[in-house]
Amino acid sequence: MARASLADPALAADGLTVSFGDVRALDEVSFALPGGSRTALLGPNGAGKSTLFRAAVGLVGAAAGTVRLASRRVAFVPQHIDVEPAFPVTGADVVRMGRYGDLGWVRPFRPRDHELVADAQRALDVEHLADRRFGDLSGGERQRVLLAQAAAQDADLLLLDEPFTGVDRPTHAAARTLLQRWSEQGRTIVVATHDLESAARDYDRVLCLNRRLVAFGPAETTCTEEVLAETFAGHVLRVGELLVDVAHHHHGAG
Amino acid sequence: MDFITDPFQAEFVRTGALAAALVGVLCGVVGCFVILRGMALMADSLAHGVLPGIAIAFMITAGGAAGEEPDEAAITAGALGAGLVTAFATGLIFRRSRLREETAAAVVFVFMLALGVVLISRVEGYTVDLTAFLFGDVLGVTGGDVAFTAVATAAVLALVAVLYRPFLALSFDRQRAAALGMPVDRLHLVMLVIVTLAVVIGFRVVGALLVLGMLMAPPAAAALLTKRLPAMMLASAGIAAASAPLGMLLSWHLDLAAGASIVLVAVSAFVVLLAVRPVPR
Repeated sequence: MARASLADPALAADGLTVSFGDVRALDEVSFALPGGSRTALLGPNGAGKSTLFRAAVGLVGAAAGTVRLASRRVAFVPQHIDVEPAFPVTGADVVRMGRYGDLGWVRPFRPRDHELVADAQRALDVEHLADRRFGDLSGGERQRVLLAQAAAQDADLLLLDEPFTGVDRPTHAAARTLLQRWSEQGRTIVVATHDLESAARDYDRVLCLNRRLVAFGPAETTCTEEVLAETFAGHVLRVGELLVDVAHHHHGAG
Repeated sequence: MDFITDPFQAEFVRTGALAAALVGVLCGVVGCFVILRGMALMADSLAHGVLPGIAIAFMITAGGAAGEEPDEAAITAGALGAGLVTAFATGLIFRRSRLREETAAAVVFVFMLALGVVLISRVEGYTVDLTAFLFGDVLGVTGGDVAFTAVATAAVLALVAVLYRPFLALSFDRQRAAALGMPVDRLHLVMLVIVTLAVVIGFRVVGALLVLGMLMAPPAAAALLTKRLPAMMLASAGIAAASAPLGMLLSWHLDLAAGASIVLVAVSAFVVLLAVRPVPR
């Protein structure tokens, strides 16, 4: 079930430039992700990873260039979600919201929609959170509910902004299993991450971003020391359990 | 029992209570989104922003002649127009300036308020009853007003029902709503228009200041009781609607301003619920 071909990339940017006032968050970024690919989006904080996602879903406009999606069926899980504790939604309500994109404003839930919601809840082990208020959940539980919402969307393209940052072990495991499943289902996945080891192991492409595109290609040939030094210039980088300060290891690269 | 039934023997009390209850249901539901989106100041700005529209409508229809009654429909249209100007001007300043929406709302708020006062001061031989504008005239409500309020309330609530899903998604998280394919900026504007409609429908009965009370207090009280939005809307509408006859009762027996008594009851509901509900974990 290939959802997009190489000729028709699932996500493509062409000279994409996004500015906030005088600051260029993205500078002439161009790439094309084939349908069904798994891409790790690497870059330090402030490299424009979130901006790239936000531009893809239309939350920020491009100052120049374009970003195109092959399908409107896109799920985006932002890194931060600011929901006040008293917000009146339950875990189940949040997962059900994932169906709003397909159903539109008023069409009632069909059996298939209920099925997708139930599947998503099972996949992320959030069935027991269905009647709990979202604001009362722990950070990891919230993240699993939000991932379940993305799963319920039945999207062709999934954009996940650092889903593994600051989550507990069960959430980490559930998210990895989910990514695997989505990939097997032929969906296109882009995950922003700081985890170089995982980027090389679990993804078929890496996209190194530092406001401009530093490198893009298969992990084994792309993640050279030079590329990483340029991508993470002057930043502390996490490689497995080690913390590496790129500036110190590559004198003159910063 | 006479204590309770006596006041409602008078037709003007019944009519006023009914109109206030309708406004309560409307504001109780719309106010849920005001609270969930943190738009309290925006709602305040819309409530005051209607003043210059009222002044202009008065100047045109009453022609400044002393004692002439202003045209009710024109006043409503003027209020609506000025409310929409407030909403759109705030949106424009927000987008152009990159200041916080709160700041943009406050700038437009004071401008509209000052403009309204300046316009009113120009009306010769007549001082528009500012008290009625700010605090309403529940006891002066006519049968026609009730019919208008009922139809307008039903229309706005139907609109809210249609927009329930996008409004919920937008209130929950703007970014995720956008990712669900929802036009978040336009939806936000539509939400402002709906708050404006609630203000315009409500200020004729409870006044521009007190309509804000009906937009804020019942949803805040309902939020203490519920963990799902449909339940919050129902509870909020119920608290607001019940506040109307209770407030009238209070007003009758203690000889208090009717509109303000209604809002006091609604705020009291919030305080009582806050005090008696189980302490959250």
